[in-house]
Amino acid sequence: MRQDTMTPKERFTAFLTGKPMDRFLCVPLILNHAARVNGVKVGAYNRDGRLMGQCHADAWRRYGHDLIAIFSDTAILAEAMGTGLDFQEDDVPLVERPAVSIPGDLSRLVTTQAHTLGRLPLFIEAVRVAVAAVGSEVPVSCCVPAPFTTAACLRGTDQFARDLIRNRVLALKLLKLSTATACDFANDILDAGGIPVVVDPVATGSVLSLRMFEEFAQPCLKELHGAISRRGCPAVLHICGQTSRILDAMVGTNANLLSLDDISMAEARDRVGGRIGLMGNVRPTQTLLKGNAEDVTREVRTLCDIGRGCARGFILGSGCEVPIATASRNIDAMMSAVQEYGQMK
Amino acid sequence: MNPLHKELANAVVAMDEERAVAAANRVVAEGLDPYLAITEGLSAGMRKVGELYDSGEYFVPEILICSDAMNAAIAVLKPHIKADATRKPVKVILGVIEGDIHDIGKNIVKILLDAAGYEVIDLGRNVKAERFVEAARAAGGGIIGLSSLMSTTLENMARVVRGLKEAGLRGDFRVMIGGASASARFAAEIDADGFGRNAKEAVELADRLSRSLPCARTQ
Repeated sequence: MRQDTMTPKERFTAFLTGKPMDRFLCVPLILNHAARVNGVKVGAYNRDGRLMGQCHADAWRRYGHDLIAIFSDTAILAEAMGTGLDFQEDDVPLVERPAVSIPGDLSRLVTTQAHTLGRLPLFIEAVRVAVAAVGSEVPVSCCVPAPFTTAACLRGTDQFARDLIRNRVLALKLLKLSTATACDFANDILDAGGIPVVVDPVATGSVLSLRMFEEFAQPCLKELHGAISRRGCPAVLHICGQTSRILDAMVGTNANLLSLDDISMAEARDRVGGRIGLMGNVRPTQTLLKGNAEDVTREVRTLCDIGRGCARGFILGSGCEVPIATASRNIDAMMSAVQEYGQMK
Repeated sequence: MNPLHKELANAVVAMDEERAVAAANRVVAEGLDPYLAITEGLSAGMRKVGELYDSGEYFVPEILICSDAMNAAIAVLKPHIKADATRKPVKVILGVIEGDIHDIGKNIVKILLDAAGYEVIDLGRNVKAERFVEAARAAGGGIIGLSSLMSTTLENMARVVRGLKEAGLRGDFRVMIGGASASARFAAEIDADGFGRNAKEAVELADRLSRSLPCARTQ
């Protein structure tokens, strides 16, 4: 077994500055699974910033992955702006009462200082706790729900999807307000020493056509990525699901790194790998949850071979969130496989 | 094809609710069979919408608007359907299994099953296995459609099938599963009757399974 010669933080800095690394960065998206590492219920984890930060620091001590990613669910900005959630004892909360269930509710939406409301301060606290605990060795990121996803949580996804055709004015207003809150939240994360990672699960190619992605999702992402880049931080965009159709438009959001899920990484490398860094995409369910260590190793090895051909950089990641119930040995296998097969040349 | 049926189908595909309602009103005014207008016109339109979704031309927003147009026209036609002309539809109990909140796929399946003439009983998302069994007992027979995008919830699908067996209801129902984390192999493993890769396949599967029900669909 080869040994690492760099800390995650050194490796991450080398990645960003184009310097040599001992191996690929390895980022299994350990999100709510961090609660499991500590034996904490997910419902307790996502309502306590200190606990959330500690869970992530402990999960890092357990697995040694190259990026901590603080996350609960993608409705956190909508919640701060007025959407009601239904909290679960041991799972992520669900959208229960969209803030703008009728267009007239728009005026009731919380739009000033929304980034200080709901659970948002709790995530900032979690970033601070994790940075204080292990930030000297590993970079700490926090997910920012993208404006399109937030607007869908403000309106209800089905209704928002209808608005895109029937009530463009309302859809664009919701997107504009969501963008402002997302920019504020991203700045708060940066102030706390974290890296914002933009996640847009609703704007996936399985839900939206390319044309609609370009019309509604892309402009807001551009604005948000611009706000992050202006602070000297790379803009990272994660979109779950099938993104083959919208891949070029994702590059057009001015992100520096795309985290990909259900798409062939070889195809992504050939199409956009010369223009943008790529991250992914060990299958979360098929491989990490249902597979065994050999399955994980095999997939990591294949992805590393593909990654070596990515001109603008490659990070070995999971396609989406590591499922909460994933066996620790499979995450260990992912880390070991990158140490073994993740050499740059 | 009757020109009014064709107009209903086209209005649905064109996402034009006003046109669909106008055509439905003409069906009523001209004394045509409202039931046929639904099955031959509106449903045919939604079948086409399903194909456009399958081929990547229509996406979720388009499907929702098409189904709104269809439902608006159905609201016009339904009061004029004579009770004896109504074929007894097969019931489909549909829901996203406990532990999962992703319901976009389930909602699309619901729209297409509705359009295909099924009576859909939508239990929503994050549904406990016991609730599927209760709903099955109330419905008496038909199809159960389980959806899950998250692998953590697969075991809960198996619990539904076991629950049906324990309640002595398994023989009266066909169980179909769908969603990103399910597979044909998993369907076989948990003794479900089939797996649909997408919404269009789900409807085809329901058609196939309903023919093997003890009280086969009368059409």
